[in-house]
Amino acid sequence: MGRKEDNIKRATEVMHNRERIRNLAIAAHIDHGKTTLSDNLIAGAGMMSEELAGKSRVLDFDDQESARGITINAASASMVHGVDGDDYLINLIDTPGHVDFGGDVTRAMRAVDGCIILTCAVEGAMPQTETVVRQALKEKVRPVLFINKVDRLINELQVTPEDMMARFQKQIIKVNDLIRTFAPEQHKSDWQVDVAKGTVAFGSAYHNWGITVPFMQKTGVNFPEIFEYCNNEQQKELAKKAPVHEVLLDMAVEKLPSPLVAQEYRIPNIWQGDLDSEVGKTMVNCDADGPLSLMITKIWMDPHAGEVAVGRVYSGTIKQGETVWASGAGKAERVQQVSMMVGGDRIQVPGVSAGNIAALTGVRSAAAGVTITRDKDETPFEAIRHYSEPVVTVAIEPKSMKDLPKFIGALRSLAKSDASLSVDTNHETGEALLSGMGELHLEITIYRLEEEQGIKVNQSNPIVVYRESIAADNKGRPFEGKSPNRHNRFYVEVEQLPENVIAALREGDLGDGPIRTKDAKEVGNKFGELGMDKDLMRKIYAINATTVLVNDTKGIQNLHETRELIIEAFNDVCKKGPIADEPLTGVLVRLVDAKLHEDAIHRGPAQTIPAVRNAIKGALLRADSVLFEPIQKIRIDAPSEWAGGITRQLITRRGVIEDMPVENDVTCVIGKMPVAESFGFSNDIRAATQGRAVWNTENAGYDQVPPELFHKIVGDIRQRKGLKEEIPGEAQYTD
Amino acid sequence: MASDEVPAGLWLIGIGPGDLEHMTERARSVARRCKKRYLEGYTAVLPTEQEALLESVVGPWERMMRPSVESPETLLAESRNDSVALLVVGDPMQATTHIDLEARCMEEGIGFEVIPGMSATSLAVSLSGLQSYKFGRQVTLPYPYGNYLATSPLEMILRNLESGLHTLVLLDLDPTGMGFDLPTPMSPSQAISTLEEMSSKWLEEGDGLDSTSVVVNEWEGMLLSDVGTKGQRVFSGSLEEISKIQYGWVHSLIIPSEMSDNEREAFSRRGAM
Ligand SMILES: Nc1nc2c(ncn2[C@@H]2O[C@H](COP(=O)(O)OP(=O)(O)O)[C@@H](O)[C@H]2O)c(=O)[nH]1
Ligand SMILES: [Mg+2]
Repeated sequence: MGRKEDNIKRATEVMHNRERIRNLAIAAHIDHGKTTLSDNLIAGAGMMSEELAGKSRVLDFDDQESARGITINAASASMVHGVDGDDYLINLIDTPGHVDFGGDVTRAMRAVDGCIILTCAVEGAMPQTETVVRQALKEKVRPVLFINKVDRLINELQVTPEDMMARFQKQIIKVNDLIRTFAPEQHKSDWQVDVAKGTVAFGSAYHNWGITVPFMQKTGVNFPEIFEYCNNEQQKELAKKAPVHEVLLDMAVEKLPSPLVAQEYRIPNIWQGDLDSEVGKTMVNCDADGPLSLMITKIWMDPHAGEVAVGRVYSGTIKQGETVWASGAGKAERVQQVSMMVGGDRIQVPGVSAGNIAALTGVRSAAAGVTITRDKDETPFEAIRHYSEPVVTVAIEPKSMKDLPKFIGALRSLAKSDASLSVDTNHETGEALLSGMGELHLEITIYRLEEEQGIKVNQSNPIVVYRESIAADNKGRPFEGKSPNRHNRFYVEVEQLPENVIAALREGDLGDGPIRTKDAKEVGNKFGELGMDKDLMRKIYAINATTVLVNDTKGIQNLHETRELIIEAFNDVCKKGPIADEPLTGVLVRLVDAKLHEDAIHRGPAQTIPAVRNAIKGALLRADSVLFEPIQKIRIDAPSEWAGGITRQLITRRGVIEDMPVENDVTCVIGKMPVAESFGFSNDIRAATQGRAVWNTENAGYDQVPPELFHKIVGDIRQRKGLKEEIPGEAQYTD
Repeated sequence: MASDEVPAGLWLIGIGPGDLEHMTERARSVARRCKKRYLEGYTAVLPTEQEALLESVVGPWERMMRPSVESPETLLAESRNDSVALLVVGDPMQATTHIDLEARCMEEGIGFEVIPGMSATSLAVSLSGLQSYKFGRQVTLPYPYGNYLATSPLEMILRNLESGLHTLVLLDLDPTGMGFDLPTPMSPSQAISTLEEMSSKWLEEGDGLDSTSVVVNEWEGMLLSDVGTKGQRVFSGSLEEISKIQYGWVHSLIIPSEMSDNEREAFSRRGAM
């Protein structure tokens, strides 16, 4: 189609004109018509044949979405739209339709400057509309409103024009309440949507028509006419007079800000760096020259090009062939291709400039949330975690063993494209432990494995990942671990790390893994800055997540030679603690003394590793081992009449209610609850509130398991893992 | 046989290296007169055809691997009331770990006696033609394991060299380090490359000794293969030549220090073999 090629050409030209760019997203509840609308916008703008629109779903790259009816990944599409003879480039970013993907929604919203709130004329704004809009407003994204499925109101519900107006009025008030509550202070009133001002549109995404007051004024189309067209089954004609893409893209161009306007007030909100620095100024000014700053919102797998990273360019121009740094990466990487996403097509271009959405290949350490710059030390948009702390695990295995090689390969690439997923595969049995941030996170991952890779799997119930730690220390009472040949002995003391150090470790500020001897001094100094004994910490051997190993021995010959073996034993215990083989957290492990056999052959791996493992495990038991469980913060909003049911649900699940502010007859229950009690919560809360509750959870660290539940929980874990029922005592590790 | 059974206790019996012909009369007689016999299977090994003959020489026996020797509860319990032979290839006290058995038996009041055997190490020294009084501390070269690579064996060789002493280098038998499985002796090429890896790691972390002496691949050496067996061989030459040797099963290596004229001649003769 000639029009498509022509559009691509126009798109690549207008990209450089910052006033003529609009980056937007659609915020909607499931099934209200986001995908249908996106397709029709893209088709209307000439990026896809009109016949296909509403059927092919360009923006839903994943088949999974059509099947589930939810949109999971944020992809993007650019289109050209003309207003008064000028071309505008509209970059549409798709947002995940499910609230549990909180991080993804935030990132998608961070990449846009405006959003179309899409509601259904019949149902109105729903819980998810509210959640997504809340996220958009938090990112200072300006909203307009589109009331969709108006055809249903007329044809199915057969409402009168007055009735329809009343319904719209009610919906608009509700949306404006939302905006007033969550918009940034200075925009609470000027971001209100208003029919008269042309920031509200009505229409039918499915039948391809739409209307706003300015469009009525321009074309003379009015509501009685619309009723007539709908009643006479003439919506095709209506779509010709008032095409939805024209109406909505006009609205976007007229009412939503360009990146040039938006970045000035958005950058201080979303970026923590120095605004007076060169890169700060370049971003605030949305300057295409100057330092590069790009935030990745999504990675997807292209069958031909492999991993494609999509993100927003805030400053500078990303160019093909140049060398860039991904925040948190260890080395610079070359950008192989730079492209724009035009509909479903990736169009290669020499470069993409500030204010636009770019797709990159070749930057292998790019991941969602990563900032791409030319200067290694630029401030990123988000701190990158070097490791994640998964809280839920399921065991999965392929239904058919002949899928095993494919299964192992697919899991490897899934783990790579999702930093919060960790995979532990047993290559012989084919069983894999999939650990992630929540129940739904794992559900989606398994779905992808089954549907995209075609590997059917058996899965266990979700299991919580607990953490082992200590409640005291064994200072002055070191634990002796002996090697099997009894010629090597290691003496270990453990103590709790301070909270601030654990937090820094969690953020990845101090590194992870073995510390090279030549880096130990510098790393030790960082611990010193956090208030720990600098001289002690300079003797650091390794970090494993939030646990640290130091060699606090003096002058022991050949100890250094066994360093790798000591670290291996330490890592073993970090992975599997003494109480229940669960990972360790928040412990400082000090090797205080050692006796080694003179001959290397008698202090090899088979001797040193078990000796050190025993020494650490024994020390942990001696220092009062305890078990921690993951906790999630929860926020539930619902009409006040349901508040009682909600609090009851929380209490029966060992939840704690921290606050219950009431606003406009909506009660907001804020509290926390153990992840272990959260399975099935979503069904119960829906039942308890007749679906009127909007809720959100967030992982919020760990709390100690209540003493009265300790033995039951530990017993269950040990049984599940096929361990001896009773927790081993110190004696287990003395020989 | 029950009438002339030896007293209850653990009898640690050396059976000599490589060939049962090296077993002393006393070792044979005591082994035969024990109620039960184990062959320790991980610090040294017998060729298969010799192992097959063992039963005809001493009576029925079982193999015992590292875990049961290092956690010897069963072995000690049996030795409390019965005579038990633990047969060790070579000399039993050459493998340091066995001194622990003596200690455990003493602690628990169990009878314990050692019957020495000819050791592979003294045999190696004899075969080398070098003077036994010029040997320094012997070392064992462990298999590398992951990132773990011991450098102390190399340091020991260097220290011997500095003092003008030869080093007998035994080669590891167990790449897993676990002692569960039957041994996989280190080959000459693995031994030389392990030495080279040690030297580059040692130079990298380098402190102490003079680095110019650590040019492993320019060293001379003597390879002793399958000593004690009928097919034993000795070869001298550069380590590079040695690393190409394909024959043999169990090897040990001598790194000579400065040699006297007599030693030099003996060394050269072995190069021609
Ligand atoms: N009658 C009518 N149906 C619509 C309209 N827009 C979308 N739909 C239908 O609503 C369902 C959900 O639409 P979809 O675009 O997948 O919603 P999404 O979940 O928000 O992406 C589909 O069956 C659409 O055909 C509309 O304007 N009128
Ligand atoms: Mg959809």
